[in-house]
Amino acid sequence: MGELSLLSNGVNPVLLVVVPLALAFAVPLIGFVSKKIIKYIPVVAFLFNLIVALLLIPSVLKQPIVVKIGGFAPPFCINLVAGPIGILFSALIALAGLLVSIYALNYIREGPQEKYHILYLLLLTGATGVVLTGDIFNLFVFFEILCISSYALVAYLGNKAGIESSIKYLIQGSVGSSLLLLGIGLLYGQFGTLNMADIANQIHSASSPSIFVPMVLMITGLGVEAAIFPLNAWLPDAHSSAPSSISAILSGIAIEVGLYAVIRVLFTIFDASNFLMFFVFLGVLTLLIGEMCAFSQKNIKRMLAYSSIGQIGLIVFAFSIANTYGVTGGFFQLISHTLGKGLLFLAAGYMIYRSGSMDISTFEGMGKRMPLTSLFFTVGAFSIVGLPPFIGFPSKFMIVRAALSTGELLFTILIGIVLLGTVIEGAYFFRVVQVIYFKKGNGNPERKKAPISGLISMFIFVILILVIGVYPNLITKILNSAASELLNRIDYIRSVLG
Amino acid sequence: MSFLHNYIYYIGAFGLIFIGLFIILVKHNLIKVIIGISILETGVNLFLIAVGYISKGTAPIFSKPGINANQMVDPVPQALVLTAIVIGVAVLAMALSLAIRLYKHYGTLDLRKIKEQRW
Amino acid sequence: MTLELLLIVAFGGAFLTYFLGKISPKLRNSFAVINALALVVMTACLYGQTVEKTLHFGFLGMPFVLRINMLSWFFAITIVGIGLLSIIYSLKYIENEKRLDYYYFTTLFINASMLGTIICGDLVSFFIFWEMMSWSTYLLISYKGGDKALFAGIKYIIMSIIGSLAMLIGIISLYTHFGTLEISTLAVQIQGASLNYILFILIMFSAAFIIINAFWPLHTWLPDAHAEAVSPFSSILSAVLVRKGMYGLYLFMYMILGLNILNKLKFGFISFTGVFCWIGAITIVFAALTALLQNDSKRILAWSTVGQGGYMILGVAFATTLGMAGGTFHILNHCIYIGLLFFVAGAIEYRTGGIRDLDSLGGLIKKMPITFIGGLVGILGLIGMPLTNGFVSKWLIYKTLILGNRPFLAFAAFLGTWGTILYGYKFIHNIFLGQLPEKYKDIKEVPFTMRLPIIILTVLVFLFGILPGIPLKMINIIGVSLGFESLNVSLGGITSDSGTLNTINIFAGILVAGIIIWLIFKAGRKAPKVNQYDSYAAGAAIPKGKYHYTVNFYNPLERMITPYLKDFVDAFYIKITEWIQNLCNSVRRVYTGYVSNYVMYIVLFLAFLIFVQLKWSLW
Repeated sequence: MGELSLLSNGVNPVLLVVVPLALAFAVPLIGFVSKKIIKYIPVVAFLFNLIVALLLIPSVLKQPIVVKIGGFAPPFCINLVAGPIGILFSALIALAGLLVSIYALNYIREGPQEKYHILYLLLLTGATGVVLTGDIFNLFVFFEILCISSYALVAYLGNKAGIESSIKYLIQGSVGSSLLLLGIGLLYGQFGTLNMADIANQIHSASSPSIFVPMVLMITGLGVEAAIFPLNAWLPDAHSSAPSSISAILSGIAIEVGLYAVIRVLFTIFDASNFLMFFVFLGVLTLLIGEMCAFSQKNIKRMLAYSSIGQIGLIVFAFSIANTYGVTGGFFQLISHTLGKGLLFLAAGYMIYRSGSMDISTFEGMGKRMPLTSLFFTVGAFSIVGLPPFIGFPSKFMIVRAALSTGELLFTILIGIVLLGTVIEGAYFFRVVQVIYFKKGNGNPERKKAPISGLISMFIFVILILVIGVYPNLITKILNSAASELLNRIDYIRSVLG
Repeated sequence: MSFLHNYIYYIGAFGLIFIGLFIILVKHNLIKVIIGISILETGVNLFLIAVGYISKGTAPIFSKPGINANQMVDPVPQALVLTAIVIGVAVLAMALSLAIRLYKHYGTLDLRKIKEQRW
Repeated sequence: MTLELLLIVAFGGAFLTYFLGKISPKLRNSFAVINALALVVMTACLYGQTVEKTLHFGFLGMPFVLRINMLSWFFAITIVGIGLLSIIYSLKYIENEKRLDYYYFTTLFINASMLGTIICGDLVSFFIFWEMMSWSTYLLISYKGGDKALFAGIKYIIMSIIGSLAMLIGIISLYTHFGTLEISTLAVQIQGASLNYILFILIMFSAAFIIINAFWPLHTWLPDAHAEAVSPFSSILSAVLVRKGMYGLYLFMYMILGLNILNKLKFGFISFTGVFCWIGAITIVFAALTALLQNDSKRILAWSTVGQGGYMILGVAFATTLGMAGGTFHILNHCIYIGLLFFVAGAIEYRTGGIRDLDSLGGLIKKMPITFIGGLVGILGLIGMPLTNGFVSKWLIYKTLILGNRPFLAFAAFLGTWGTILYGYKFIHNIFLGQLPEKYKDIKEVPFTMRLPIIILTVLVFLFGILPGIPLKMINIIGVSLGFESLNVSLGGITSDSGTLNTINIFAGILVAGIIIWLIFKAGRKAPKVNQYDSYAAGAAIPKGKYHYTVNFYNPLERMITPYLKDFVDAFYIKITEWIQNLCNSVRRVYTGYVSNYVMYIVLFLAFLIFVQLKWSLW
């Protein structure tokens, strides 16, 4: 541990944002030299990011790192706050980014590949920026980077569905970000500062209606990206029409980052504990709507997208319980969703590629045609449903524990409803698994594996799902400190403002 | 009159925001909706400027003698708006290029007919 | 060490079997048998030990406790025993199927997870193994493919998930209340809890156990699943997997709560155990009569599994010393004869090319004599004929009901037995007796590896029928450890004030009577032998087809009971799923595809939030 902390002293969290950003713009330049190495740039960038984030973890667990850019002290400068949450998320982003970029080495073969890699880097840079920044306007800017690159990536294939989903996503997204900006303006008008810790410090000095309006605007604006019902109508379209590698990122990272912004605003900036009860119901509603919509989908990617909505509902529910277990469980569920849904989209990507259609019924006999990919899909599905020994189980366990530890009858009933949602989820996932393995396919039974790069990345996903699922104590430490960062806003303010 | 005088920018800003939202909600034509988004963003930008604006204020340059800090216009919102405008332009460009591709696929820009992705 | 080793061998063996299958099928088969055998030997070595061991690398900070005592051992030995026989049986039975690596892996994996649930001593590990068992079972039920099997699989997994989620709520609620999930600690701490809370927990747990045990009204997954699974696996399902629910009830009702609390759980004249007794009674009657209507050999057995579960819960929930012994013994007996019967049904399927329809079979007695004996003995055990094991346990259960002054429950139990006799006879008659259809003329007895499990189980039926003292001694130890009085067990049965059972005397009596009868027949005239084709036709042309009656076997009775026996519970569940499906489809319409609507949602959401604030001023 000693060497690690020594190493991490020299590492600056800014690198997490700067390196992918710089590499993104270096892509066209490198493209002049050789077109072939372009696709390895994201791999390098996120490998780097992952290492940096992991190196930072030990020191961040002791004390959040506040980076002052431009030499001013907070609250006047633009600052990065690498607390446990920030590092947790950036590690997660880097991990998913790395694995998906390995997958994409072979998967992305059509279209303007150079632009794909630029946009991919930008998307994840934006995501990393959102989770690290301590400045509310900076949050908006990074958010826009994330959104615009995801609009473009959804339309990457240029087909009818992609373009249509992209434009719908764009319309809703820009309405959302306008509302967000309006909320930021209102906050600035009242407090004359953009620093999140500073606003949070002063928030109780203002009258409640004048706080409420910016809060509502920001929640609505961020909620669009976080896919909270009823702001999530873009999600099933966008996730199902993007290339599968991008769906994995959108589902695994983009909405999670949106959710991060929502909880940051709710918990840290506005300290809106009274309002959380509303979000408990909203979470349950989102979950039910998501699962019910997914239930009779015939299109595999649409089904997965709706299931993401359901998962987001579960995470919102977990966070809104707002005790330690709930918040920890929320973070845990976030991780398990990123891993599980990422894996599902990636596996579905190659299965779609082989069967030539997104229709679930065309996957008949896939268990023979692509044995490994089918196995990976099954693992992902079981994990999302929350079966042991996969990662979905400990996270669901924590959420149930959080709900029951409140000791209120209401929460017991709500967790019952949530688990019913899980049953619906189980029903449609099990149906797909059956189609893959047991339905007798009349198609060509030739055995054709997915390319090795795809298999490697999916395999790492599976390993992570299994290892953390069997031994969840691996990550509970960072989860606990992330939860305490979220719940103790005073500590956060103090560590930023000094 | 003084109410109008003090709040004219806010009224203008919210007027633009509501016009923008109205267009997005009511119009079926994609181009018009994009125009609506643009107006909405302009309204938000105007609002941001208005937050920092002081009537008859000056630029915040401290080296000039004889100017009090309370007469200076807050520069931060202006910086924000510059960024927001750039972002807005990017979104606009993206939207318009998507509109062109969409027209190629569907042969129409009527959003009521562009409903293949649903349920 | 042995307990960990047992788990490691069980799980490791499953994975190893899979990878060995990639090398050579022969190696895989022999390894699977060796692995199962090793498990039997290791479990047998654990006999009589009471060990509890805490390992500190548990789940989310909870320790992982391994534990074995008589109760666990009793269930463990049935699991590994049936597992071994089923694997041996599979060697030939399943030979020509595809994906054999997968089959052996899943079978061993299910066995391993069942073992896990039995020998772990904390509820988290119990739940984890339980869930692993659930999903791996689901993966094997649909193994054969085809729409029916798929439907059976999905039905099973959904019901099982509903049950286990209810159990999860119960487990976590216990954890938040008492801060521990170790069974031994919980058993102490829970004594102080309020009765309402205990009732809540009990209902949560019972939901899971009733579903897996397939008691009415949550039985609907079982007939489909058991009929559609491959036969060696059906016998695992029916003999041990379903009875994991019984283990759960023991664990929760007697091990954790204890008799004291159970007896206190009374609300007016409704007591908790009384409700279980009635569930058992309804299950017995309903299942026995429904089994009568079946025309599918494995479906009959599946329904009889449902029904026999009713006897067990009748005995166990009655919570007297005799009832406990009877219920527990019945679990073992059922495991033996239902395993045997599924093997028999599988043997018929194997030789006739997958025929399960009772109407088209017949006369196989001469062609498959060993299978016939197995089937006959199994059915006798099922009915509860003296000298078979089923008799002893049923005797104990009837005795309990009569001593407990519960005439209606006793009547239900008798009615169930009567139904059992009818469908049991139908099973035997339609398969083995009567006329042999032309197309089965060249049928042969099943190969040795399939005969062996049948023979072993047949012997066991008689062994425990004649010498019931062997298992009853263990059961007595279990009963004492759960807080019941000790029974006076002898090798041949039970001695008690209310009546004595000595099967050895019965055996001797029947043996003597048998010899006398045999001698009388020997002395009498030899019966003439008549070819089956040389019969009443008196020279007229004999129809080529089958003309012994198997179709509409109990027609008048069926006509009488059919209207009352529509599986309205199943129909109700299916209606509910349809309704949910429709609801889901209408909910989907929220996403209209028209982008202005979507923006409208955003604006409305904003407006709603502001409205909430203005109305209730939450903030």
